[in-house]
Amino acid sequence: MTQNLPIPLSLLQPGDQGEVVQVYAQGPVRQRLLEMGFIRGALLRVEKLAPLGDPMELVIKGYHLSLRRDESSCILVKPVA
Amino acid sequence: MALTIALAGNPNCGKTTLFNALTGARHHVGNWPGVTVERRSGTFEHEGSTLEVVDLPGTYSLSARSEDERVASQYLASPEVDLVLNVLDASNLERNLYLSTQLLELGKPVAFVLNMVDDAESRGIRIDVPALEILLGGPVLPTVGNREQGITELKALLSAMARGESNRCRRITVDYGHDIEGELRLLEAEICRDERLEAAMPPRWLALQLLENNAEAKRQVAESHASEAIGQQLSKSFAFLEPHLGADGATLVAERRYGFAHGLVKEVATAADDKATPTSRLDAILTHRVLGIPIFIAVLILTYSLSFVLGKIPQDWISEGFKALASFAGSRLPAGELTSLLVDGVIPGVSAVIVFVPVIMILMGCIAFLEDTGYMARAAFIMDRLMHLMGLHGKSFIPLIMGSGCNVPAIQAARTIESRQDRLITMLVTPLVSCSARLQVYIVIAGTFFTPLWAAVVIIAMHFLGLALAVLMGRLLRSALFSGPSTPFVMELPPYRLPVLKATLIHMWEKGSVFLTRAGTTIFAGATLVWFLSRYPGIANRQWTLEYQQQRSAVVALSLPAAEAEERLRALQLAHESRIVNTSLAARLGQKVEPLLRPILDPERKRPEAWKDVIALTAGFVAKEIVVSTMAVIHQASEEPKPGELLSPLQVALRDGSGLSPLTALAFMVFTLIYTPCLGTIAMIRREAGSWGWAAFTVAYGLVLGWGMAWITVVAGRWLGFA
Repeated sequence: MTQNLPIPLSLLQPGDQGEVVQVYAQGPVRQRLLEMGFIRGALLRVEKLAPLGDPMELVIKGYHLSLRRDESSCILVKPVA
Repeated sequence: MALTIALAGNPNCGKTTLFNALTGARHHVGNWPGVTVERRSGTFEHEGSTLEVVDLPGTYSLSARSEDERVASQYLASPEVDLVLNVLDASNLERNLYLSTQLLELGKPVAFVLNMVDDAESRGIRIDVPALEILLGGPVLPTVGNREQGITELKALLSAMARGESNRCRRITVDYGHDIEGELRLLEAEICRDERLEAAMPPRWLALQLLENNAEAKRQVAESHASEAIGQQLSKSFAFLEPHLGADGATLVAERRYGFAHGLVKEVATAADDKATPTSRLDAILTHRVLGIPIFIAVLILTYSLSFVLGKIPQDWISEGFKALASFAGSRLPAGELTSLLVDGVIPGVSAVIVFVPVIMILMGCIAFLEDTGYMARAAFIMDRLMHLMGLHGKSFIPLIMGSGCNVPAIQAARTIESRQDRLITMLVTPLVSCSARLQVYIVIAGTFFTPLWAAVVIIAMHFLGLALAVLMGRLLRSALFSGPSTPFVMELPPYRLPVLKATLIHMWEKGSVFLTRAGTTIFAGATLVWFLSRYPGIANRQWTLEYQQQRSAVVALSLPAAEAEERLRALQLAHESRIVNTSLAARLGQKVEPLLRPILDPERKRPEAWKDVIALTAGFVAKEIVVSTMAVIHQASEEPKPGELLSPLQVALRDGSGLSPLTALAFMVFTLIYTPCLGTIAMIRREAGSWGWAAFTVAYGLVLGWGMAWITVVAGRWLGFA
């Protein structure tokens, strides 16, 4: 059951999949994330981390996106097996 | 009547390639008024009618937060636009349609281009175009922009639509659901109280932006006499929607738009295969945990060598050519003001401009190539952690490194950074990176005052000092100038694509010619001003000119062997120039500001002639390497070493006659590194930042920081026991 509790996106490991629950960020970051497809229920998959550990690359809505930990920690996701 | 078509679409959707295919060479590059966003417009003709095409900056939405988005949304709402052409990337349809949902609200006819259908098909995505036309309510044309497929049909369609002969447009908008639509209607009714507001854009579009909490829309409403009524209705709408639908307005609107896009894609397109794409196979290597950084460094070295090693060859031809021209003119024309203006002012000034063109074109070509292939985003992905620590963006890395070749194209390279804040900071700190022109100053001075080994250490230390200061200033400027939230780093990693050679060549040509026309005049004017400062009033002294001519005739009359005669003539010329320069306005300036410079250049008060350094530094404002040639004139000693000697006469003169000690020489180098960017860099900052203010700021902070660092060098050196 624990695996279905929402966690910040920054905690997902490469290869993990998740479903967006909520975007906590405010202001321009929030708007940008929404229009890039981080809406409730959107599925995403973490592809990899950059060689220096940040940012992360993920796939959402069929395209590849890079997010810093600053932003990915503001996105709540439900891990999907 | 010329009709105007606005080209809108996401970044990386192939919009610019399509623009080039439509307009060919008939286009013009400028800036949008008041901002630094490039504006490209061009025309094409079809069956006798001329149509204007304006390429908007690529954006993901019209929410008007970034400069790009503001430009796009303002222009799209303006009455100038007759028709919107929305370019869609067929391989990434759902996200591309998000922008379309906003374009459809603008109340203008919208045509769609389904670009890169070949990419989509190779990924197994097949799109039902007739079904898409019905669902979007406008004509959809499949194209492959970089192979110019479908361009003729597109031209025919656009001119028919612009003439109003096509009836393929129906008005379709996203259905936001019963609750939101109800609130939208209430808001629209309030907006329609103000006729001006109603006329500026469709009321429904404004109402939607208000629900999204859009700052720009709120600003527009605040200016209206109906602002109070609209504000009240907006609060009521929020109070109803948020508890009722469980999210704020922005989320609800975005969800409905993506709902529309998702449903549409499901209806008209087959899902992509799960097999590995060429992009994912390439990325497995190019952004690999271990290999990613070495590959990036190799790409950097290659770019650097192409631009500054290969680019140096034509650069040397140009500067040699102008030098030959100057000495030819100097030897044929009578000595005097006009000759000096031509030989020492105009010719070096023109040379100082043209010499940048090959490097700019090659570096911009490389950067366009990296950008168009999609590697630039990966480079930023790889370097972002490091650059973020320094208060910069991942994409700042390349301009900073290229700055060590030449600051001028490096500042132009900062264009690849989307956020204005990050771009501006990168441009302001790039001049601190020590360039190859400054290297020539270090070589002469360090070679004079240090043993070869220590000279090498000092020169390397200068480069590190420049980089360290760039990082430090980056952090400082970020916290001092831009206290607001930094722009989010939400960057798409687009699929790798092979760039079109034609587009890269057009891009290189544009960058070179823009530099010549925009920055060239500034550099030329500045060079002439510096000539004036360093030659007047001596150059106008007829007595001196006469004496010089008499001395020359006397030497010629001696009929010495050719080599000896030439040497004596050159010594005479140097003496004559030295007399002029050492009494010039720049020299007077030097004497005036000497007290200011004493702590850094003459801490022991043993150099009565420290003011002469100011002449060299003033001249170095045109281009840093001129510091050396001016010193040669000031000290009447050639910068060319005699055969068999280690030090040039200039270096001997500096060592024995200038009064500089190793410590003050070091302070002089530190000051040369920082004190001001050269004219070319300043002209480029002015052009890229869009105002003289930032250019002046760079000079001012450079002077202060340069003085401070040189002073620290002197104080620390003396404390450590050096003299």
